[in-house]
Amino acid sequence: MNLKKPGSSKPEPGSYQPVMPRNWWLQHRYFQIYMLREATVLPLLFFIGCLLYGLYCLSLGETQWQHWLAFMAQPWVVLLNLLAFSASLFHAKTFFELFPRVMPLAPPGLMIAGQWLATLLVATGLVLLLGGWL
Amino acid sequence: MSKTINIARYNPQTDSRPQLQAFQVESDNSTSVLDALLQVQQQDPSLGFRWSCRMAICGSCGVMVNGIPKLGCKTFLRDYPDELTVSALAHFNVEKDLIVDMQPFLTHLAAVKPYLINDDQSSQPHRQTPAQLAKYQQFANCINCGLCYSACPQFGLNPEFLGPAAITLAQRYNLDSRDAGKTARMPELNSKNGVWGCTFVGFCSEVCPKKVDPAAAVNQGKVASAGDFIISMFKP
Ligand code: FES
Repeated sequence: MNLKKPGSSKPEPGSYQPVMPRNWWLQHRYFQIYMLREATVLPLLFFIGCLLYGLYCLSLGETQWQHWLAFMAQPWVVLLNLLAFSASLFHAKTFFELFPRVMPLAPPGLMIAGQWLATLLVATGLVLLLGGWL
Repeated sequence: MSKTINIARYNPQTDSRPQLQAFQVESDNSTSVLDALLQVQQQDPSLGFRWSCRMAICGSCGVMVNGIPKLGCKTFLRDYPDELTVSALAHFNVEKDLIVDMQPFLTHLAAVKPYLINDDQSSQPHRQTPAQLAKYQQFANCINCGLCYSACPQFGLNPEFLGPAAITLAQRYNLDSRDAGKTARMPELNSKNGVWGCTFVGFCSEVCPKKVDPAAAVNQGKVASAGDFIISMFKP
């Protein structure tokens, strides 16, 4: 973009061009929380890796499946998955709060409550369905 | 009581970068940052800053107070401890002291064709119901102060990003029942420096002195842009 004013033939007096520091997101709390929201994808990646590994083990047969179950029961795996779970709850909270602002279909409070209710219903449904299987 | 105000001074003829200079100002319950700057100017007439209305409507007194974009006339010393730091709006080139070059901001505003576009030649007034007005009214409250650009890290990283106020203004006209210019505005919003440059940091809405909620407008723009894309897939 040409920042020179039209019609000025004199050279512009110097102006100071600010540079954004690499750690801009540490500047204040608002940016830190934003980065935390973005970072929730990291533990989720681990969880998805676990799921894919589980599917792969299932295709290999019973012994491998038992091996996967044992893997999933290890404390550090449980811990990381708990982290993924809380991270996705946090992400859901931020998302549910932003949604009514982007699509104002009903009063915000109602929309937020509705989204949590829907999440709870779907989650309970899935647990009942899969719980019956395992 | 007396408070210390550190001001980022920059003289383009002698300095390579802004330097903090401390001043003492008298402050009571009603002293705004702008009042404090005016006091400092009494001590040092070379201090440069912009202001006009003193009542949060002209949008010219934007500065960073302790690193947060604020209107000087709407920010009060009583809300700060004994010391505070005032510097020029972030992400813009500094011309002198607290004066920045707003040209990129103005260029971005103009790029979204911020006016009613329609073929209507009649001289009759355009009627609008309260419900039609309510659709865009909040987005029409922008005073062009530029605080949202200083709050936006995406604009800081990419000065070509249209940015919160310009996209909000586009949305304001797109939602106006008297306007038929959406097709003319969408290419700019769909472009790589348009709505998709936003990652919903949301700080723009936090700092907006008029509660315009630009982050909501930008993300409504994303919905419109996605709709536009889907429709274009079905067009020959
Ligand atoms: S002086 Fe006009 S908005 Fe502050």
